[in-house]
Amino acid sequence: MTAIVESNGLWENMYQGRAAFVRYWAYIGLMLGAVGLAMFGGDGYTENGYIFQLVGQDGLMWLGTGALLAAGLAIGVSMLRPEVVNGHIPKMMVSWFDGGALMLILMGLLTLLEPSAAMVSYEDQTNLFAANVIMTMNVLFLFSAICYIAYLFAPESFIGGMATAAAWGGLYAGGAALLLRWYESYLFMDGEIGHAPVSNIYEVFILLFCIVTIIYLQWEKRYEAKAMGAFVMALVAAGVFFSIWLESVGQAEIKPLVPALQSYWMKIHVPMNFVGYGSFAVACGAGMAYLTRMWLEARGSKMVAVFPSLEALDQLAYKSVAVGFPAFTLATILGAAWAAEAWGGYWSWDPKETWALIVWLVYGAYLHVRISHGWHGKTLAWWTVIAFLVTVFCFLGVNMYLAGLHSYGRLS
Amino acid sequence: MPAMSNTTDYLKPILLRLGSMSLAITLLTVLALASVIGTVLLQNQDQADYLQQFGPIWYWVFRSLGLFDMYHTWWFLSLLGFLMLSLSVCLWRNVPRFLKEMRSSKVALSDSAMKHMKHAHHWAIKAQSAENVLHVAKERLKEWRIREEQRGDVSYIRADKGKYHKWGYICVHSAMLVILIGGWMSVQFGFRGNMNVGVGSKESEISFLKGTSTEYMKMPFEVQCNDFSIDFYPNGMPKEFKSNLTIIDDGKEVLTSDIIVNEPLYYKGVRIYQASFGDGGSNIHLKLLKLDGSGDIDSAEAKVYTTFKDEATGITLEMTDFRPHNVENMAEAGKAKDFQDLGPSVDFVMRGPGLKPVKIRSFQDAFELNGENRGNFMQVSFSGDAKEFQSMALGLDMSNPQEWELLQRFMIHLGDADLSNQQKANMQAFKAAMDDVFGKDKRPDNFQAMAMRVLQAVQVIPRLPWPYIPVLDDYDQKYYTGLQLARDPGMNVVWTGSALLVIGLCIMLYVSHRKLWLVVRRKGNDVSISFVGLSNRNPLNFDREFHEILSLINDDMQQLKKGETV
Repeated sequence: MTAIVESNGLWENMYQGRAAFVRYWAYIGLMLGAVGLAMFGGDGYTENGYIFQLVGQDGLMWLGTGALLAAGLAIGVSMLRPEVVNGHIPKMMVSWFDGGALMLILMGLLTLLEPSAAMVSYEDQTNLFAANVIMTMNVLFLFSAICYIAYLFAPESFIGGMATAAAWGGLYAGGAALLLRWYESYLFMDGEIGHAPVSNIYEVFILLFCIVTIIYLQWEKRYEAKAMGAFVMALVAAGVFFSIWLESVGQAEIKPLVPALQSYWMKIHVPMNFVGYGSFAVACGAGMAYLTRMWLEARGSKMVAVFPSLEALDQLAYKSVAVGFPAFTLATILGAAWAAEAWGGYWSWDPKETWALIVWLVYGAYLHVRISHGWHGKTLAWWTVIAFLVTVFCFLGVNMYLAGLHSYGRLS
Repeated sequence: MPAMSNTTDYLKPILLRLGSMSLAITLLTVLALASVIGTVLLQNQDQADYLQQFGPIWYWVFRSLGLFDMYHTWWFLSLLGFLMLSLSVCLWRNVPRFLKEMRSSKVALSDSAMKHMKHAHHWAIKAQSAENVLHVAKERLKEWRIREEQRGDVSYIRADKGKYHKWGYICVHSAMLVILIGGWMSVQFGFRGNMNVGVGSKESEISFLKGTSTEYMKMPFEVQCNDFSIDFYPNGMPKEFKSNLTIIDDGKEVLTSDIIVNEPLYYKGVRIYQASFGDGGSNIHLKLLKLDGSGDIDSAEAKVYTTFKDEATGITLEMTDFRPHNVENMAEAGKAKDFQDLGPSVDFVMRGPGLKPVKIRSFQDAFELNGENRGNFMQVSFSGDAKEFQSMALGLDMSNPQEWELLQRFMIHLGDADLSNQQKANMQAFKAAMDDVFGKDKRPDNFQAMAMRVLQAVQVIPRLPWPYIPVLDDYDQKYYTGLQLARDPGMNVVWTGSALLVIGLCIMLYVSHRKLWLVVRRKGNDVSISFVGLSNRNPLNFDREFHEILSLINDDMQQLKKGETV
């Protein structure tokens, strides 16, 4: 056992054994502390008050106590029963928690670069710093997409590594920028309009890029599917151009929430939906990679060697759908629950709802033919691509062309 | 009973077809396509709009297909019914089989089945180690569900993980059924409608659309709106609207509470939601500045949604809306925003003999630009559509009656003046008008600005085709609160189904049934060992898992072999 530990570096050590186990429970404790604060702390839960409590003294006390207690307990348990540290879940989850914590720290550092209060106002938001971070993210994602495409032609060179590094960089920039926007929304109008950065199409686009990238990077890490990056990141790059256009037409401004959106449901429903959309985008990337590989094979191209096997690409497309489908289902159900609370009914055949149903049916049919009929290969690769087009219409087209209850996502 | 079996013979192929996958996929596709129609074609609009949009033939075709209220047509509902039927048959056909499979205790594996497995490894050892092999392998498969069987010379170990993944299938499909049943219950036994209650009044009836007509329904209680208030953001967007309601049941006040959007009130199985708000018939007082040269100012009074009729001229003013605030961004495009409240406004349609009907939005306050008073203005739309409002500056600040008088005097003096020199004539006429209104050589403080306004007004006002200019003078605002009332007995059924759906999906998609067999075959002194595996999904992960266990067992085998040679 000690031999293994010594042969690994400090970095690997952080992600296994007791270090991972204790840290995992510390994070859990932190979250339980946050829940405790919401339920029992201060004068009860209010949407805005809670965030200020979290970053104030109350938050420090609740979160700190939670984290310390849980970490202490974890150390104790791991002393008494050493085998518990080998559990699968802490090892897997702790890197996600670390990533989240890193984004928060990054955001904290970025707030130091925020201009003085006199320089920002609701009327003039041009001085806010998040725009710069978002531009950094845009550049990194575009660069990453170019590198991934170059990697197809030069798999031996360092370009592949650069592509991955740029994707990770863009991911952290995007995550930190979103958090920073959240912070910025409290900077003017006496903090009256502060809200989570998932309230308009510009913000959810950034969220979407981050989700697509993280899902893809997981597949790359686990299944050596780097060639797929050229397709997935190309989709992200296309999205980046769209979001740059959105910014140029003034959609990037932080605006107050209409009463219907002032609900904690927004913070759950919207990100969950985008986990679905994001995985469907990755599935589409895998499908495109599959079709490209088939085409290359037919032409006898040497580039085929760079691609994962057809079977692996097929599996990755399915895996992405398998991540996205339950998330999308849950998101739709949460949306229904919110609708039941805000609009008086869980289902109104509103265009957005109906299109969500259509997307759900399309991927549901995909799963049927795959699981029960055992379909594989080319047809399903096309299916993921076309189904993604339907998805794009659902989250973009509906807002642009069809009116309805979801019209606050509308482009003006 | 032959007759009975005949019916079953007859029914069976139909049932098989109903529960078949192809029908399910066809249904899903048809439902998806049908749903698209309902989103592209705006639902439940005014019939006249449809007629105008599509022309008589298509209007008739669409109407007879029920496309204007598509989600409630018999054919769409039958599609959903079909889906329920298909789901039921599918469950009825497969569940017993799945349950049996999950319970089955078949351990042995046929040779032909073994040959088809992609994951396989074989060893050959001596008989003395055979018992050890079984022992060691069982130790390696500790985390798996192990069963053993002996058939003649062959020993089998079967190890399972995720054996119950078929519950995922059962959960998901029954969940869909439960959700559809819940939806049916909501439609059948529930209701949902709107109720607009003016501040200070009571209401007990809701209205809702059924098909293409509006229907009404009496509630078992009355709702009284005691108060309504709105908070605005500085950019004019509503921040929060709040109603204070009292529920009156059987003449008694039983419950008083505030409601806001996202926080409904619950009474007797009915949820009361804050949905919208609007003008509840505010009292409007208008100044009518006569354009007949008399300079008189009449007044008109009417409530919003009523019509004021002027008997003398035959003019009618139909009040359509009142807004207490009109926040606009006054900055040029690309510049930092500059929100200004232009003050209260009233919308009305002016009709009269010989007049083209116009829609007018009249503002009470004078318009200020860069701190300068630019006089009153109104928005006028000749098409009657609020989107086509054109701003029209009247020039005068109507809050000051002296300015109106000044204009009148100015026009009279202008008529008397020598028109050969325009500028001089203007100067003289204005001077004379000032003397008339304020007394000889007396001037108010800001008379230069006033002069500018009068000069502006004289360009506009005499050209208006109306007998008078109606300008908002005063108001007594009254809101109505727009409530939505709903009773939904199917809701909890739907939530139950939803929970089942998500759980089922997770089992179905994330739990794979993995099976491993270790087959030990004795032939005299030689023993052949096979280790094979199979997974119903996620081959990439299973590949890894299989090889991890294989390498461990392989190590064990090498150890055992070493033992043999020694």
